[in-house]
Amino acid sequence: MRKRKWFADLLKEEKWLNDRLAEGYACRRIGSLGGYAFEPSDRKMVIRLDYQRQMSAEKYEEYKGTYADFGWTHLKGNRWGSVQYWQKPADGRDEIFSDAGSQVAFYKRLTHYALTTACLFFVYTCAIFNGNIFAALFDIKASYLTEGLWEKEGAAFWRAFLFETPFAMLRFLPAWIFGIAIVMSLYSYFHYLKRKKEYA
Amino acid sequence: MKHPLLPLSETMHYILLALKEPLHGYAIMQAVEQMSEGTVILAAGTLYGAVENLSKHGWIAPVPGEMGRRKVYRITDDGERILAIERGRIEHLLSLYEMRG
Repeated sequence: MRKRKWFADLLKEEKWLNDRLAEGYACRRIGSLGGYAFEPSDRKMVIRLDYQRQMSAEKYEEYKGTYADFGWTHLKGNRWGSVQYWQKPADGRDEIFSDAGSQVAFYKRLTHYALTTACLFFVYTCAIFNGNIFAALFDIKASYLTEGLWEKEGAAFWRAFLFETPFAMLRFLPAWIFGIAIVMSLYSYFHYLKRKKEYA
Repeated sequence: MKHPLLPLSETMHYILLALKEPLHGYAIMQAVEQMSEGTVILAAGTLYGAVENLSKHGWIAPVPGEMGRRKVYRITDDGERILAIERGRIEHLLSLYEMRG
């Protein structure tokens, strides 16, 4: 079974993955563009997501080795500051954090990650659109550069309009995608913050 | 100012005590499970983070010469000093328990 889905919120992604596993699947592969491959599994499996900041190759080997010793299989992740996907057969010892301190530290890493992502997208957007993110988002007409386009009428208008639309989209879509990325990062930031507060 | 890791959490406390003998990650979990009579069962992420934190503060250190995939850790002199401070704190608490029935 293959699924395609995109998550900004890592806690929701973890829940969604475990819901699929509860239907009798094991995750076989996680692609980089939101593709998930599952296969039927006789054993009940669990997935846990961790987030780690950039670390040395040596540290990363130690990190992965520790999880492997506890029975976790690494599904996806790299050492450059990324989400780490871990899967194992359920056996009652299915958590990756066993005390409040490490759970809170995890949420702290997540809030930092979400806020950094939001800031990065904001800076990119400002750089690309010369600081005028609102014009890029809401003044879609300005993305059409054909002179006198909006004064044309009937078939002449539609021909010119449709002809230019793909080019105009190249101008306004990045602003929309970045805008959505900023909003979703901020949204998950507040979600993580809420979960963190439940612990400390 | 007091050290941010003091007083020690239960996790840190057990790990420091377990590392009076050299152990690698998974063996630390097993030792702690036994020492705590099954009440403290460390999970992978918690153990990794605690070992990382304790070695950052120099309270435990990898044992040199131990080769292989798994790093073996042992408590350092600084770590022993921390345990001595904690011992004093807990003994004082215990004496209060006795005194106040």
